[in-house]
Amino acid sequence: MVTRILVVDDEPRFVRLVEANLQTEGFEVIKATNGKEAVDLTVAEKPHLILLDVMMPEMDGFQACERIREFSTVPIIMLTAKGDEEHRVRGLNLGADDYVVKPFSANELIARVQAVLRRAQKQTSEFSEPTFTRGDLSINFARAEVIANGQPVSLSATEYRLLLQFARHAGKTLTADELLRNVWGPEYSEEKEILWVSISRLRQKLEKDPKNPELIVTLSGEGYRMP
Amino acid sequence: MNTRKPDASSLQPNELEAVYAISRAIAETLDFDKALANIVKLARPVFIFDNAVLYLVNEKGSLEPAFARAIGRGRSSEADSAWGEVAANEAFTSGRNSLFQPDTKPEADRLQQRFYLGLPMLLSGKCIGALVFIRFGGPPFTKEQIHLAEFIAAHVTQVMEHKRLVDRVANLEAERRLTRMQSEFIATVSHELKTPLGFIKGYSTTLLRKDTHWDAATQLEFLAIIDEETDRLTELVDNLLDSSRLQSGTFDVEFRSVDLASLVEENVGRLQSRYPNLNIHWKTKGSDYLVEGDPKRLGQVIDNLLGNAAKYAPNSPVQISMESSVDQVKLSIQDSGPGIPEEDLAYIFRRFFRSAGTKDKVRGSGLGLYICDQIIKAHHGEIHVKSAKGAGAEFIITLPRQKLPQPA
Repeated sequence: MVTRILVVDDEPRFVRLVEANLQTEGFEVIKATNGKEAVDLTVAEKPHLILLDVMMPEMDGFQACERIREFSTVPIIMLTAKGDEEHRVRGLNLGADDYVVKPFSANELIARVQAVLRRAQKQTSEFSEPTFTRGDLSINFARAEVIANGQPVSLSATEYRLLLQFARHAGKTLTADELLRNVWGPEYSEEKEILWVSISRLRQKLEKDPKNPELIVTLSGEGYRMP
Repeated sequence: MNTRKPDASSLQPNELEAVYAISRAIAETLDFDKALANIVKLARPVFIFDNAVLYLVNEKGSLEPAFARAIGRGRSSEADSAWGEVAANEAFTSGRNSLFQPDTKPEADRLQQRFYLGLPMLLSGKCIGALVFIRFGGPPFTKEQIHLAEFIAAHVTQVMEHKRLVDRVANLEAERRLTRMQSEFIATVSHELKTPLGFIKGYSTTLLRKDTHWDAATQLEFLAIIDEETDRLTELVDNLLDSSRLQSGTFDVEFRSVDLASLVEENVGRLQSRYPNLNIHWKTKGSDYLVEGDPKRLGQVIDNLLGNAAKYAPNSPVQISMESSVDQVKLSIQDSGPGIPEEDLAYIFRRFFRSAGTKDKVRGSGLGLYICDQIIKAHHGEIHVKSAKGAGAEFIITLPRQKLPQPA
């Protein structure tokens, strides 16, 4: 089977460079010029590896990486012109497997690609359905789009992250503490009121009858659950 | 330290009204001198005084006058009048009111009988200065009047604190702007330097790979990229050097007689080899385009403007027009590309400025137009831009005409 690699960079000259080197190793190269295209091509082509540039118009590499990780474990190597620690750590925290700092040599790039692919071979990449459906609610992870009762719903970034918590753990009860830590961060673990307000707002936007919620139900004294 | 808060309950209705008016006056203005002048004016009908002086503590810890008004008797004595420094110092060092009231002698000169009331300006336990009221020939300050004066001093303190905070915020804002511009510059420059370096490194190591063979066409393709990226790096380094020379005033311009038309022609030719699809239209009025100038520097300007048209307005025809008159030569370079947003027009000749809309799409350092502007200025000419979003951009240069020495 041919190994397919998605190369994402807004500089055509750069894509050409990577493409030429990868093709000599027998890889098939697919190309995208911004983060949005990268996410779409990941859904459509299910590549074996993604080489993702950080600085791009439309959607940058960090955002694209975060989005892809919502539905896929495909190995991602970030390509960055900024080699500082903050930049590298941010990429790795968002789920990147490795990073290569520009300028780099052709041999280094090939070696990194092969190392990451070797590691990944031990487990096959998972591509879960990039969509999630529950009743009249559907979420498209690749596009970060939410549709409830047949209508597109506009959620804030925080509301979307909160909703993802429920969708990822559907059927499981989540405590207020867990939700606050995962969505807002550990320093918010005591701020129950902010969670109450946000859940109430989510229900207003998603539930058919926000007074009798069916998507996010309260389990008194335990937490919240998407059944 | 006097920590007693002024209490409004003991004030007379007209005094209370004056105090309210003072509060309003303070709330409505950010102008410190105006606010103080207003306070003096509003206080005057309910509180008699001849001179009022505000002293503020300076960086050495001593008092310095910051505001003074002479409104009653003694205006005529000017600098010889009494300005209450002793009362101010005492109020400032003790943190309490200071009162100096002479024994009244009816036969003596009123101007020599000075009554001083010094009030400390206390702000969260710290004394920031003192306010002094002076009366010539009395009457002595009563307890109620002192109380009213405390109110006024408290308000003045608020004004001062407000002013201090406003100044501080303005300073911090300015510092922050500078830091941001510097760090944006470093980020832009390092990105701009690293991009061509990345290509040079990437393509040369690709060609150097021992484990693979590239056909001749591919080798040429890669070498051409390395060559172009090296030029780009050189250009960027030159721009950086020019920009810093312009900043330090060591930018050299060598004047001689230049035919602007042939200079434009040369640059067009060079640019067309770089951008083969570039579509250029010429329009000239007049025939003599000689100016006094530095051909290298003027060429740099033309190259930059044409290059911008090719970069920012790809596939758009470029119209070059030239016009000469007795005393000047005018050159216009116009594209019909996406144009420059109106809000950016005032900034595009500034060092490091880049339009938000194109910053991520077109590579550049924010130095080119700054350098153009500076070069044209060094030629005693003018450069300006006409543009609107979606309506293309036109750069117009006017250079003073060469004054050829008449043959004898």
